[in-house]
Amino acid sequence: MSIASRSLAPTVTRRAQARLGIVLIIPVMIMVVVFFLIPLVNALYFSVVDFNGVNPNPPFIGLANFERMFTDPKMWAALSNNLIWIFVGTISPMVIGLLVAMLLWSVQRASVVYRVVFFLPYILPGVAIGIVWGWIYDPVNGLLNEILRAVGLGAVARGWLGEPDVALYAVLVTAIWAGTGFAIVIFLSALRNVDVELVDASRIDGANSAQRLWYVILPQITPVFIMVLTLTLVGGFSVFDIIFIMTGGGPAGATEVLGTYAYSNAFQLNNIGYGTTLALLITVLSVPIAIALNRLQRRLSLQGTSA
Amino acid sequence: MNNLLRLTAVGVAGVLAVTIAGCTGGAPGGDSDDPNTIRFMIGQPEDPADLELTEQDMLKFEEETGIKVELDVIPSENVRTVLQTQLRSGEGPDVFGYDTGPGFAGALSDAGLLYPLTDAYAEFDWPVYEFAQERVTFNGDIVGIPNDIETLGLFYNMTLFDALGLDRPESTSDLLNACEVIKETGVIPFAISDQEGWQGGHLLSIVLSSEIGSQATKALIDGEASWDSPEVVNALQTLKNFNDNGCFTPSPAAVTYDNANALFYSGEAAINPTGSWLLQDTERNVDFEVGYIPFPASDGPGIFSGGLGAGLFISATTKKAEAALAFLDYTMTQEHGAWVIENAQSIPAFPIDTTGIEATPLFTQVLADAAKIADGSGDFGFNIDVLMSDTFNEAMWNGVQAILTGQATPEEVAASLQENY
Repeated sequence: MSIASRSLAPTVTRRAQARLGIVLIIPVMIMVVVFFLIPLVNALYFSVVDFNGVNPNPPFIGLANFERMFTDPKMWAALSNNLIWIFVGTISPMVIGLLVAMLLWSVQRASVVYRVVFFLPYILPGVAIGIVWGWIYDPVNGLLNEILRAVGLGAVARGWLGEPDVALYAVLVTAIWAGTGFAIVIFLSALRNVDVELVDASRIDGANSAQRLWYVILPQITPVFIMVLTLTLVGGFSVFDIIFIMTGGGPAGATEVLGTYAYSNAFQLNNIGYGTTLALLITVLSVPIAIALNRLQRRLSLQGTSA
Repeated sequence: MNNLLRLTAVGVAGVLAVTIAGCTGGAPGGDSDDPNTIRFMIGQPEDPADLELTEQDMLKFEEETGIKVELDVIPSENVRTVLQTQLRSGEGPDVFGYDTGPGFAGALSDAGLLYPLTDAYAEFDWPVYEFAQERVTFNGDIVGIPNDIETLGLFYNMTLFDALGLDRPESTSDLLNACEVIKETGVIPFAISDQEGWQGGHLLSIVLSSEIGSQATKALIDGEASWDSPEVVNALQTLKNFNDNGCFTPSPAAVTYDNANALFYSGEAAINPTGSWLLQDTERNVDFEVGYIPFPASDGPGIFSGGLGAGLFISATTKKAEAALAFLDYTMTQEHGAWVIENAQSIPAFPIDTTGIEATPLFTQVLADAAKIADGSGDFGFNIDVLMSDTFNEAMWNGVQAILTGQATPEEVAASLQENY
């Protein structure tokens, strides 16, 4: 090849690469515009009008929906339920998922069976889970109370979904049961990439199980850990379906979260403007956290702490 | 490079096709341009047998008129959201079943989404009862045909009552006494469900109507009396007393409507406070004799709460008004009314000659009660939630749940009702 053509090739190549890059991301950009940007702009519009769902010309009301939101005691109550959900509903599947993954890590026989069994609840439809667990929690004929009575713990039997102090935690148990399988499978995959020689070396050096986990294993799976943490935590802000099916946000708002409160305002009270404003709050709260965790994960990956 | 671009073009086309298909696609079942095909949307009936009856009815209509009905059945809890979305987009069903209250059909009428039927009433001379016509009249226009007259009361296990030596309760103290006797047998006195919330509105309706009477209840509904009054507080207190005495299902806010009905059908509960719409299902599912009485008052047997169920409406943007009106007219005939009474145990909101109609004794009683609602000769209370706004209804439903779970006092709930009126 001549010197002249060698000096031209990179420019042509760069332009061609740029064009190719643009062409390749066009499909995704179309989907981002159609399924994210347009709905977001729509949501911003609905949040500044008083839209009841049927009036084709809703009046502009400025920031009234936002003012109402910040002075609405029910919003703050729903947000506090979200925080409980995030705290308990994030720590539990992470801890249980990691411990079970550690146990399965050393299992050779039937490991596929265990993985399927633990992952199965995660792929079941939320509606089906909610309905079946609703039957389990039924105060009269539910399986849970029947078992408690059968083993002499009848005093503990109660209306799990009907008592305001207990209902949210009862639904949380169901959600943790359904979601932990995801954490187990992801952690198990990450553990398969852990350098076992380092683990053995630390054992020889006298490190106990907890020390091996904290100092040797966790640092090698941190990016995956943070990824699961991000998904679980962000999911806690946007939780809706399982609460809607099992309690509808009741009794009397005891299990209301931002998602169910936004739904009831939008679709049951015909207050779509206010419901949209509440939904935007979910976005505003969850996106910064997701971005921060994502940056942390990338930083740790670049530092070479990945498995 | 050219191959790659071609592949990319195919990929983009695929994405666009999926996007366009997702964004459009029309209403379920497709919108036929045939003027003799109409789409009829209803909420899923509680019993599949009722859906079969509806389908048979549609076939009969098609045979008689040559107009085909495409039945569009959606989950009842989704009717409001799906219907509003479709009507706003101009792709609503031609005819649909919907609640008649101000928060339901009234809201659609205010938005101009309903076909006015005032002229059709005159043209077809539909003999709908006047009180029922008023319930589907908004802004001076009649916009719907009320489907059926319903009452709220107590279904009770007469066989069990007889075995326990209990008479029909004629006062709240009779009812409390019956509750104590029934509890001793291990049977749950009342099959109360309130997990979904709306049942609380019915409970308040039946207790309040019986205790203060129809005139006083109407005054509350019309805003002429305050919901933050001793009468309302007493009615809410009655519910609290019955719950605190263990007369209701344990933790009623955790019990679903279907589960409570099942408790009554199986004999595990003795009394089921619900409405006459459940009469046919009740008779299908029980193996004991059933009675139907109003919730008693403190000083007497009480009165049923009565009112209208849902109605039939035509979409304002329908292009098949003639066929839709023909469908409505079909439902207003004596023949159809008699069929509905005999087969669906539903009571039309217009006069029907019931001579020769085969009905169970219980349904004959309900029919007689409905006739008194219709001609105004009987005293009936009101089913509050079909006459009130969404905001009030939510306060009422949450309020009764709060009372049953101890989260609020009757005074607090009454104040909340007045605030949200």
